[in-house]
Amino acid sequence: MKLRVQLQCKNLHEYLRELSPEILDRLYNHPATCLAVYRELPSLAKNYVMRMLFLDQPLPQAAVALWVKKDSQKDHDECVSVLGGLRLWHSQQLQGGLQGYILNPVFKDNLRTALLGGGTAWAEEGSTLGPDRHARDIESLDRYAMERWEVILQFMVGSPSAVSQDLAHLLVQAGLMKSEAGEAPYITSAGFQFLLLDTASQLWYFTLQYLKTAQSRGMDLVEILSFLFQLSFSTLGRRKSRRYYPTRLAITLAAGVTTSSSTTSSNLASTPATVEAGFIVVETNYRIYAYTNSELQIALVALFSEMLYRFPNVVVAQLTRESVQQAIANGITAQQIIHFLRTRAHPVMLAQTPVLPSTITDQIRLWELERDRLQFTEGVLYNQFLSQADFEVLRDRAQGLDCLVWQDVAHRVMVVTPQGHSEVKRFWKRQRSHT
Amino acid sequence: FKVPDEISLLVIVVDVNPIWWGQQAQREQEFTLSKCLDAVMVMGNSHMAMSRTNKLAVIASHCQDSHFLYPSKSWKAGDDGADDASSSGDGKYELLSVANNLIAEEIRNVMSKTEVRGNSTDTLLAGTLAKALCLGQEIKSRILVIKAAEDCALQYMNFMNVIFAAQKQNILIDACVLDSNSGLLQQACDITGGLYLKIPQQVALAQYLLWVFLPDSEQRSQLVLPPPAHVDYRAACFCHRNLIEIGYVCSVCLSIFCNFSPICTTCETAFKIQLPQMVKPKKKKLKQTT
Repeated sequence: MKLRVQLQCKNLHEYLRELSPEILDRLYNHPATCLAVYRELPSLAKNYVMRMLFLDQPLPQAAVALWVKKDSQKDHDECVSVLGGLRLWHSQQLQGGLQGYILNPVFKDNLRTALLGGGTAWAEEGSTLGPDRHARDIESLDRYAMERWEVILQFMVGSPSAVSQDLAHLLVQAGLMKSEAGEAPYITSAGFQFLLLDTASQLWYFTLQYLKTAQSRGMDLVEILSFLFQLSFSTLGRRKSRRYYPTRLAITLAAGVTTSSSTTSSNLASTPATVEAGFIVVETNYRIYAYTNSELQIALVALFSEMLYRFPNVVVAQLTRESVQQAIANGITAQQIIHFLRTRAHPVMLAQTPVLPSTITDQIRLWELERDRLQFTEGVLYNQFLSQADFEVLRDRAQGLDCLVWQDVAHRVMVVTPQGHSEVKRFWKRQRSHT
Repeated sequence: FKVPDEISLLVIVVDVNPIWWGQQAQREQEFTLSKCLDAVMVMGNSHMAMSRTNKLAVIASHCQDSHFLYPSKSWKAGDDGADDASSSGDGKYELLSVANNLIAEEIRNVMSKTEVRGNSTDTLLAGTLAKALCLGQEIKSRILVIKAAEDCALQYMNFMNVIFAAQKQNILIDACVLDSNSGLLQQACDITGGLYLKIPQQVALAQYLLWVFLPDSEQRSQLVLPPPAHVDYRAACFCHRNLIEIGYVCSVCLSIFCNFSPICTTCETAFKIQLPQMVKPKKKKLKQTT
């Protein structure tokens, strides 16, 4: 039975913690990075950093511990570990011999620069370039970004689309697709899980994989990361020197993985991650109505449901036991299906609580559990004992070694783990030579 | 699963009464209006740096009117003309440098162009707060008032109305007082659930702002912050605007007066007074002694 590999979507902080201290220090040399890392901190930690930002001397640890109320001591400890793990502050001995905290000086200077100025510009300014003749507006940027992203996703699903060799290679290395020698790559179970994530998560996972390969290809990790963070702070659609236009996707990249993509209260101009509004309606009779034209979205829905009808603007599908179990056999989990449906839920669905009918979510999980009725454990079978006493002696020995998996006293049968098998076998041989 | 970031608006109301600031310049040269505004800008920048969805507004409260320093009406988002001006060459986050430049320019306009009538040190705080309330209609917002001049009892009514409106809309009002204590602001902070602080050292304004007023209401529940001050809850009478402890209340419209008057000036109800009746002294029956 194939073991299911869970797709790990790390967020910015976990990724940074894995980097070595020297790289981190070099990374913090840029105001954009400091600001991005700062924004991802838990809110209490942000306050801590702000308080210490303009202090040049270390603060006693006892004083810092007094900043929180007694009920929030746990939050305080969490902040301390987060800030320490990212090397944003470290302990330093004060004059009185007490331990104090002081902010990482590189980080402190650069965060101050980001807030107050007084440093060098972030990117070369192209002020000699004249007014922009090719100014793109936000909508066309959005469309362009989504188109390019969908091309990649469609390539993964298997519909024919042109994707650069580099990209295909990256997908294979990321474990999202597998390629047999000479044949076109096909998608793996991890790839299925990737497809069902929301766009922000997909982007982030993709970028992380790219960064991992970047190191092996000799590109400077620090430069790439700094560039990424800078990009994320540019305003949507503004021109930068050398005329590239940050798209919304790029901006939301550093905004982390877990921004929910279903905030449709978009009266205000600069709204969060998602570009497409929700379009899926799920009914309690297991029918799914997807109001979309996009081939990719239809293909995604078809991964775990049976297509019934297709109209110019709607696709009707049905969630059946077979379709869901087939999806699960391909490596998708029930949680991912539910997450997919929830993040793309139509605004009408969002108005009701719970968003998806509980019958549907429960049933999907039950279908998944149906496949889990059997649990396989490897073992070695001992049977055909000549007497009850022999059986009991051996059984007790195995229990003593903690490797007895199962026993049937009436039939004198027992199962031992493979690791314990050699030990039990030796014991049995000694036993037999005695009697 | 992280809760999606909500939009959080911080409105900073700065008291720019020129008479008070002029006197202040003679009292203490270390802390001038421009230093105060520097501190305000640091506070604003920090607020916007905290989260992508945080927003800022700055209003200057003058003697007779109030002006928006940021966002100002002449600035349109996405304006290409502003692009060259905004790209900061000094490493400041672009959004912040745009905001700071605008604030600096507007305050210069306000101080040089606004006329000063009369000699009073009053500032039109109630009106400014009303404008601030209009901003934060559907989004989570809070107001921080930086008060310099003294209270004006004339504004009592409007002020209380503004405070109750803020309470209804769940908008916190914080107060950072530079000079003399303000009973009105103490009441405002107490009723809406905000923080009131009179700063011991004016030059350290930025540090006080960052330490005490930067955290929002959720974060405040975790931090240890200055305790609420004793609040002066005396009402002001409607006829003279004096603060009184005991007074007369109209039973129809609940307006407060210090002296009795037969007709209520607010709702014009006439009160019929009954003169106390003459009580005939009862003849005491003498106990008959036996």
